[in-house]
Amino acid sequence: MNLADFSILVIDENPDRAAIVERGLVEGGYTRVSRIGTSFNLVERIQALAPDIIIIDLENPDRDTLEQMFQVSRAISRPIAMFVDQSDSSMIRESVEAGVSAYVVDGLRQDRIRPIVEMAISRFNAFHQLRRERDEAMAKLSERKLIDRAKGLLMQEKGLTEEAAYNLLRKNAMKQNRKIYEIAQSVITAFQLEF
Amino acid sequence: MSLMQVRLGFVPLIDCALPVVARAKGFAEDENIDLVLVREMSWAAIRDKLSYGLFDAAHLLAGIPLAARLGLGGMPSQHLVVPMALGRGGNAITVSTRLYQRMLEADPAAMRGPRGLSARALKKVIDGDRAAGRPVLSFATVFPFSSHNYELRYWMAAAGIDPDNDVNIGVIAPPRMFDSLRNGWVDGYCVGEPWNQRAVFHGDGVIVALKDDIWARSPEKVLGVREDWALSNAETLDALVRALVRAAEWADQGENRTELAQLLSEEHYVGASFDILRASLQGRPVLKPGDDPVDAPDRHVFYRYTATFPWLSQGVWVGRQMQRWGQVGHQVNFNDVVRDVYRPDIYRRAVASLDVALPAEDWRVEGLANAGDRALVGPDSFLDGTLFDMRG
Repeated sequence: MNLADFSILVIDENPDRAAIVERGLVEGGYTRVSRIGTSFNLVERIQALAPDIIIIDLENPDRDTLEQMFQVSRAISRPIAMFVDQSDSSMIRESVEAGVSAYVVDGLRQDRIRPIVEMAISRFNAFHQLRRERDEAMAKLSERKLIDRAKGLLMQEKGLTEEAAYNLLRKNAMKQNRKIYEIAQSVITAFQLEF
Repeated sequence: MSLMQVRLGFVPLIDCALPVVARAKGFAEDENIDLVLVREMSWAAIRDKLSYGLFDAAHLLAGIPLAARLGLGGMPSQHLVVPMALGRGGNAITVSTRLYQRMLEADPAAMRGPRGLSARALKKVIDGDRAAGRPVLSFATVFPFSSHNYELRYWMAAAGIDPDNDVNIGVIAPPRMFDSLRNGWVDGYCVGEPWNQRAVFHGDGVIVALKDDIWARSPEKVLGVREDWALSNAETLDALVRALVRAAEWADQGENRTELAQLLSEEHYVGASFDILRASLQGRPVLKPGDDPVDAPDRHVFYRYTATFPWLSQGVWVGRQMQRWGQVGHQVNFNDVVRDVYRPDIYRRAVASLDVALPAEDWRVEGLANAGDRALVGPDSFLDGTLFDMRG
């Protein structure tokens, strides 16, 4: 079986993560990759696609539905068993921690499946890393906005220059052992109370 | 003394009450446990995270540790153990208002009660559909190895319906049940509260049988841990069991049920509306939109009737249902499997220091309404009056 012969289905409610996984697989030489997001008509859609491997977010509630479907063999043309290579507990752990679960057609050789699951794990991890960085960047941005707003209030209400306003915030932050944006938040709250 | 951290996974259902109460009311802390609760939206996710060490303990369907022990459902065999049960009651069978009308027209006598026999009306609807060449009805339960699956099938089979051929039975995770009924993807389901009561409150469904109507005061969720964790953390496990048993005692007091409803309504626990949770928790469920509530005082039992004791006979009943519906062969001896998984010895050891009523034996004849230990268990008849003797 060539890489191009594997039919891989990615089920994910998060379209960004699904796209990252799909791109990774396609770049890795797997050309038959599909993805679906919603749960409606799940059974029928999987039957129509008849995938060899399903990659699905471990926390996706559709997994309960999938597992039932795999048990009732008459409901699907080819029986599918859950992928877990029992001999490789570190990979299982890695997979569970990354939030990847996979189901494969019974009888496929482990060494053919392994790279696909490893690709999914690395892509899931990369996605979560990206999201963490994005969240941190957004948090930084909102901190910056708070500081600017507090500075503006101090300049307007207390007649300070921008530099003096910033220094005042910084001095208080150091004195109270807090972050500048926390002091900025206090300043904004104080002015809101006053007016 | 520093607190021992225990990570426990749960699914948003009323019967996740014990871990929630143990944390929120300080019973866990009293036992020097920092109980970290993690909400999950699917049973498969809980099972995997418990099996592979992301959780120390979990709120589980009773069928999951048994299926895991046998490596069913495509999973490698995992040795999970059940040191205690997490209560009785809580499930119901709800049908769409449309199917309810059809059942009422097909057999008004059967719909007048008892509710345990309401499937007789469903049988007439199914027979009529078959004669007319209409597609079969679809039902959902929450997991292949769930008491919900076995209760729905028990209710149907008692009325002469073949659940494998006369209807479609699929699986939908509990938090998605209500939308599936509302959108017409399924005609009925068996799920734990608050997902039945919610369908009634929103006018989309009618409860046609409570769990109590099928098997009175029947067991529901269990606490699951890995055997290796239980062995290497015996003291922590005992402390966790004690904290949950004390939480059960608190949750069973009528005067605490309003506070419990408030607690569970929080978004990070069950996240359903307070009114819906309270109606169910106070044993005053509304079965049909617009009706007055009915009295169902044992709708949710957390402590009384040995509701936290891991009765071997209850585990065996679940195992025999797996065999009845072809999920596992008859060569499996569930009396042995259950002794390996259900661990009343751990429960007895853990609660020895508490004033908890303990049965003399670890098993009993289930369904024997007039048994000598009735005060300890409460009347627990099956809808068809049969007895379940695990020795048989």
